[in-house]
Amino acid sequence: MIATAPGRALRRAATYVGAAVVLIVMAFPLYGIILTSTQTERDIRSADVAFVPTYITTEHYTRIFSASSGVPVAESMVNSLVVAITTAVVTVAIAVPAAYALNRMRVPGRRLILGGFAAIYVLPTLLFVMPLFITVVQLGLYDTYVGLVLPYVAFTLPFMVWIMGSFVRAIPISVEEMALIDGAGLPQLIFRIVLPLLRPGIFAGLLLGFVLAWVEFLTPLLFTSNLSMLTVTLGLFRSTMDIEIGQLAAATVMTALPVILITAFFQRNITEVITAGVER
Amino acid sequence: MTGEVRAEKTIRTVSRRGRRAAIALVAPAVLIVAGVYAYPAITTVAYSLSDIDLSPRFRIVRFAGLDNFINQLGSGKFWEATWITLYFGLMLCLVTVVVSFGIALLLNKTFLGRGLLRVTVLLPWAVPPVASGVLWVQMFHAEFGFLNGLIRAFGGAGDIIWLGRQTIALHSVLIAEVWRWIPFATIFLLAGLQIVPRTVKEAAAIDGAGSWRTLRHVTLPLMLPVVIPVTIFLFVWAMKVFDTIFVLTRGGPSRATTTLNFLVYRQGFEQFDFGSAAATAYLLSVLTVLAIAGLGWMLVRARRLAGA
Repeated sequence: MIATAPGRALRRAATYVGAAVVLIVMAFPLYGIILTSTQTERDIRSADVAFVPTYITTEHYTRIFSASSGVPVAESMVNSLVVAITTAVVTVAIAVPAAYALNRMRVPGRRLILGGFAAIYVLPTLLFVMPLFITVVQLGLYDTYVGLVLPYVAFTLPFMVWIMGSFVRAIPISVEEMALIDGAGLPQLIFRIVLPLLRPGIFAGLLLGFVLAWVEFLTPLLFTSNLSMLTVTLGLFRSTMDIEIGQLAAATVMTALPVILITAFFQRNITEVITAGVER
Repeated sequence: MTGEVRAEKTIRTVSRRGRRAAIALVAPAVLIVAGVYAYPAITTVAYSLSDIDLSPRFRIVRFAGLDNFINQLGSGKFWEATWITLYFGLMLCLVTVVVSFGIALLLNKTFLGRGLLRVTVLLPWAVPPVASGVLWVQMFHAEFGFLNGLIRAFGGAGDIIWLGRQTIALHSVLIAEVWRWIPFATIFLLAGLQIVPRTVKEAAAIDGAGSWRTLRHVTLPLMLPVVIPVTIFLFVWAMKVFDTIFVLTRGGPSRATTTLNFLVYRQGFEQFDFGSAAATAYLLSVLTVLAIAGLGWMLVRARRLAGA
């Protein structure tokens, strides 16, 4: 069937209609929560939902960051920042050398290690959590930063080694061979050649580590109970016990915001990582 | 392929300079992973074979043999959760793949605003699971939720109790999870579509195939090696869904949204029955591995058919 002119116009129209539908459906829940966070409690609780706002109020945002707020949102954001940054740095620092060795050196049991790191994700996290819970309590790490960072790092590490591995493989071999011929030792090779070339990968890894730790929910749910150790995700869940929907919506927006900003800024890089995965 | 060959070559180059250095570089990662995964995984086996008392403090009362497994396999709750899990997993894969494939086909065309659509489709992925749970609670709220509001705006009754009725609740959770996974599946499938050579499609068009037939007989078979890995990923995630269920329904009403993974949580951290929870967790693992083996076998066949 050769496309005729009216047929082509029709198909173009269908494309735009389809695009509009997808756009609305995918964005609608996000739009909804932002809208909710900027309306007064009375209007939120009214049965006829106004889909287009006639005003905008920031009262819920000021309220959740005020000292009298039932859930310490500001404090929980600081906690999550500390834990997420630590996790990102530690995970990348451990994953990069491992990824380099696994992809460029002869490591005994290399296939077993890489296979094991992938297989871990198949098993339910709760399988590992029960003995960890006991250990964390026995070591007195319950309700501490270390008690959170340690499981975070471990949960992120296998995935990080895989991702960093794809960046390591992207470094042209000839560069390394040249350095070796020039008599560089392993430390020089890694610090002078490999790490500078890996910089984009390391940056991506840090972002990934940060995001994964920021959104983690099960670990803080089980390994903390003190309000002073509250993370954003747990705080958000605690807020659901609250009665004020507007504040809950505002807290949701604040929890999602850092991750959304990172994703929006780096969507091209994210797409590249996934695309690289498909091509392999 | 080429990457593999090149990697082997370097391994040879650098290996002269030390196996010991290589081990030192890998050791921290392996030790941490072993400590946090292997040790607990083995300990959980011990739990699953024991009678455990948690109060006043954790202790293993006695060796219980396979009692915990036998109890699970003989319990109605376990099988109920198993069917819910399988239904949920298969539906999540099916709906997400079909919808994402449609969106990927759309994004594979050139049109005004494609960049905007791409970013928008990616966004749900950036919403932390708990936040997305809260957001959907808001959508599904029976009295002043947006979905019922939308239905009323179009003249419907808009009084659906999304999270309080057994069958609807499971599908509400499904909607929320599909929304969360569409970004990943779409980007993955889109990457696959871009690999399908344009020339093959053009050849099909010259041979007189309409766009539907090109899709059905050319694009789809070529895409199978990409569709199946996506399905495997989605299935594994479906088996592990926790945050959304926890926030939306807590496994209820009654047990309508209690998947096996959530059953493990309930047994372990609500009833503090670590023995049963450990047994259930292992049974869930077996189920997951079997499902992946099945899908993997399909992948091998599809690759062979596609001639890759």
